[in-house]
Amino acid sequence: MFGFLARRILYMIPTLFLVSIVTFAIIQLPPGDYLDTLAADMGEAGSDNNAAIEALRLQYGLGEPMYVQYGKWMSGILLHGNFGLSFEKNRPVTDLIWDRLGWTFLISLLTLAFIWLTALPIGIYSAVKKYSAGDYIATFFGFIGLAIPNFLLALVMMYVAFRYFGQSVGGLVSPQYLDAPWTWAKFGNLLEHIWMPIFVIGTSGAAALIRIMRANLLDELYRPYVVTARAKGMSEFQLLLRYPVRVALNPFISTIGWILPTLVSGEIIVSVVMNLPTTGPMLLRALLVQDMYLAGSLILIVSVLTVVGTLISDLLLAWIDPRIRYQ
Amino acid sequence: MQHIKSKKGRWSFRLASAGVVAALCFPAFAFEEAPMLKEMVDAGTLPPVAERMPNEPMVMEVIEQPGEYGGTLRRAILGGGDQHNLVRTIGSENLVRWDATWSEVKPNIAESWEVSPDAKTFTFKLREGMRWSDGEPFNADDIMFWYEDVFSNRELTPTWDSNYVGPNGPVVVTKIDDYTVKFSFDTPNGLFIQNMAYGFGYYPTAYAKHYLKQFHIKYNPDVQKLVDAEPAASDWVQLFGLKAGAMDTPLFWQNPDRPTLHAWHLNNAYGSTDRVVAERNPYYWKVDSEGQQLPYIDKITYDQVEDVETILLKVFNGEIDYMNRHVGRPSYRAVLTDNMERGKYHFFDTNDLPASTVNLMMNLTNTDPVKREVVNNKNFRIGISYAMNRQEIIDLLYFGSGHAAQASPQPGSVLYDEEFSKEYTEYDPDKANEYLDKAGLTERDSEGFRLGPDGKRFTLTFMVADVFGVQFPDAMELATAYAADVGIDFQVRATDRSRLIEMTTNNEQDAYIWNCGGGQADAYTQPMCYLPQPSNSVNWARLWAEWGVDHTKGEEPPENVKAIFDAYDEVKAAATPEEQKAKMKHVLDLAKAELFTVGLVQNEPAFGIARNNMRNIPDPLPIAGQLWYPAPYTAQFYFEGGKALP
Repeated sequence: MFGFLARRILYMIPTLFLVSIVTFAIIQLPPGDYLDTLAADMGEAGSDNNAAIEALRLQYGLGEPMYVQYGKWMSGILLHGNFGLSFEKNRPVTDLIWDRLGWTFLISLLTLAFIWLTALPIGIYSAVKKYSAGDYIATFFGFIGLAIPNFLLALVMMYVAFRYFGQSVGGLVSPQYLDAPWTWAKFGNLLEHIWMPIFVIGTSGAAALIRIMRANLLDELYRPYVVTARAKGMSEFQLLLRYPVRVALNPFISTIGWILPTLVSGEIIVSVVMNLPTTGPMLLRALLVQDMYLAGSLILIVSVLTVVGTLISDLLLAWIDPRIRYQ
Repeated sequence: MQHIKSKKGRWSFRLASAGVVAALCFPAFAFEEAPMLKEMVDAGTLPPVAERMPNEPMVMEVIEQPGEYGGTLRRAILGGGDQHNLVRTIGSENLVRWDATWSEVKPNIAESWEVSPDAKTFTFKLREGMRWSDGEPFNADDIMFWYEDVFSNRELTPTWDSNYVGPNGPVVVTKIDDYTVKFSFDTPNGLFIQNMAYGFGYYPTAYAKHYLKQFHIKYNPDVQKLVDAEPAASDWVQLFGLKAGAMDTPLFWQNPDRPTLHAWHLNNAYGSTDRVVAERNPYYWKVDSEGQQLPYIDKITYDQVEDVETILLKVFNGEIDYMNRHVGRPSYRAVLTDNMERGKYHFFDTNDLPASTVNLMMNLTNTDPVKREVVNNKNFRIGISYAMNRQEIIDLLYFGSGHAAQASPQPGSVLYDEEFSKEYTEYDPDKANEYLDKAGLTERDSEGFRLGPDGKRFTLTFMVADVFGVQFPDAMELATAYAADVGIDFQVRATDRSRLIEMTTNNEQDAYIWNCGGGQADAYTQPMCYLPQPSNSVNWARLWAEWGVDHTKGEEPPENVKAIFDAYDEVKAAATPEEQKAKMKHVLDLAKAELFTVGLVQNEPAFGIARNNMRNIPDPLPIAGQLWYPAPYTAQFYFEGGKALP
């Protein structure tokens, strides 16, 4: 077990190194750089402020070759924990992302909880009561949940909230609380808003897991070991949870590896539409304007999370399913 | 409909013009100040209003009537690239300003100015006792700091803004006394005062010496200590750039410590918070005709959003008090009308009227000799112009809003010329064919496309970027079909804005579709469609434009183009507005005869929304690239009742 862990962690190092190079190269692939985007934005001022652009080119060191820029960036991260400077915000990347990462983790963990809390019981129910009215209803909504793009659902819900409930839409708190200190009233206001993104981001995941749970459990329910346990007089509820559900849980565990990166990068469009203070809109904007250190750092963090997440899900799988070998 | 009441002469601050005496006289007039400031004065944390104001504050003409204090103006701002949202509400305080109708230049920071008869020197008289937003005095030394230590320092300013450069070199600024500065050029520069009233005239009065000198190596030999403490800078030049960024970049709005002369001052930096807040500047140097210190409105807040549609929803909910940015698109008008009652707002017009909203620009200095020969034939351009069904474009893409016109001054501008505007704009494929035949493209290939002089199919590649929300890709698709009807092969290549700008500034394109400024009073200073001008975005003869700036660069243009260059030089040499207008008419006449570009559509005025109790709002609001409106007129906006409607 320990050898397995050590080996896996060692493998992570070259993987992440390659990822960082690819990330940096891809961000630089489109022609131009941040200053071209800025110049286009500044064109609105009515004439060309080449004076300011020239000064900024020196300021940001954008004239240097790519490997020099990469070397500076990497040595900053490794030696000083400094992820570089965001051109657009003119602040160190590390100042900018933690706030947003915090919100992202909160929303994503709540979403994960929402998905499991809804998908597990419904999935079990619709497998056990196959072809019942309840199963059909769950299946119907499951497919709708899978089919509707999240951002569309977000738009519809925002419209309904705006049109019929007169709620201020977008963001996690109402405008009057935006720069207020944390109070119970503000917390209550947060709860009034936060269920919406959780529901929107959670539906498709929950729908998928309901279907997977149902299919897996159906495979298990008629296995001989279930029949044996039942023949021995085990209570139906205990039997269900202890044996077939445990086996059917496998996909829940193995998807943890994918869930961690979506914590950071996933649901970008939903976050943009619903105006959430998460990393998604920041990453999108950084990529659009070629704010390369900000974008590179976010992608690097996502990659680390993916690799770590895969490791965690492998370990959990090995723990929950003794049939898996460390090979 | 403009209701500017001139309050001049009702009573005058000129009574108290002599320095120290003024301070003694003012209690008689009893300046009024905002209640929030009065509290601070009573608490002893702020000096009394008379001490905070210059001896002769600027008396601002108001649009409707003197207002009342109070309230928070709520707006929304995009998370990035939206610094002009701030510039156009609180920035833009220059030495001189345009009036609220964009027809006349008036005093602003400068109390008065003089132009020498040869239009080479410009002397500005500043206001004694005027102060920065942190309470420190503002005077000629601040302007000299900008000139000597920022503008003339080639490390800080590697290239100069064109406003401050004549053909033979940059402006020379001299201090006459503490409140008088002189700007001199060695050639006539009659448009200098106009230019100083536009946005980029802000430079000389944006650099507070007492604050910025700590970041300048000339004044602070120990500046390296500050550099070490700042993670985003590695030398003093970078540090200075960070602390004293240009106003049209985000940098300016990311340093709330920098003192300004604006009506409101930022509390926090743009880009890293959910809400940007600007609070009133207690040292603002303008009053209304009743002696009330401006601005009327206490605070402006900008809620950061990621998506324009979110702003719309906020408008419907009454969470935006005044905005034309982002929401003033024709396609939003219907849904905004539906929600007017709910959001308690109404519309106002914005006269953002360029010379052309949709303009086809063929590269007259194309590096391909065959294409160059053809597009330089005026008959070819006339043929293309007749081939375009402008009304169909307007009906299909812009819901019928707009009118067919060449790139020319708009109706309503004093420079409007109906013939220039309407020439060759009717849709007439027969005439188009006739002119294209005259241009020598008589042979056709088996698919019906005309052959160029080299015997091959004549093809122009149009670059198109989806910008400004005016559906350029769709317009180009229609234009391509109209051109094919008369046997001209347009190829369309989609690209993004920055790539397109890079291509056109390097003279790499055949042709592209874009807009063109200079439709109103900005025709004087932004004549980019009337003669070749080096520009980031409008380049239809880049090599000639480069030659026009520096005869050793680019390529010498033909005589007819040189004649326009000469005519425009005469505009710049003219010292009086009347003379300038006559000379500008001449430039436009010469441009009309050339049809350099093929203009398709001029848009109708766009619009903005204002909550129903907002007063003193310019309607129509003149606005243009260089005219950073509604600032500085936001200072006289007020809420009837002292706060935003619930």
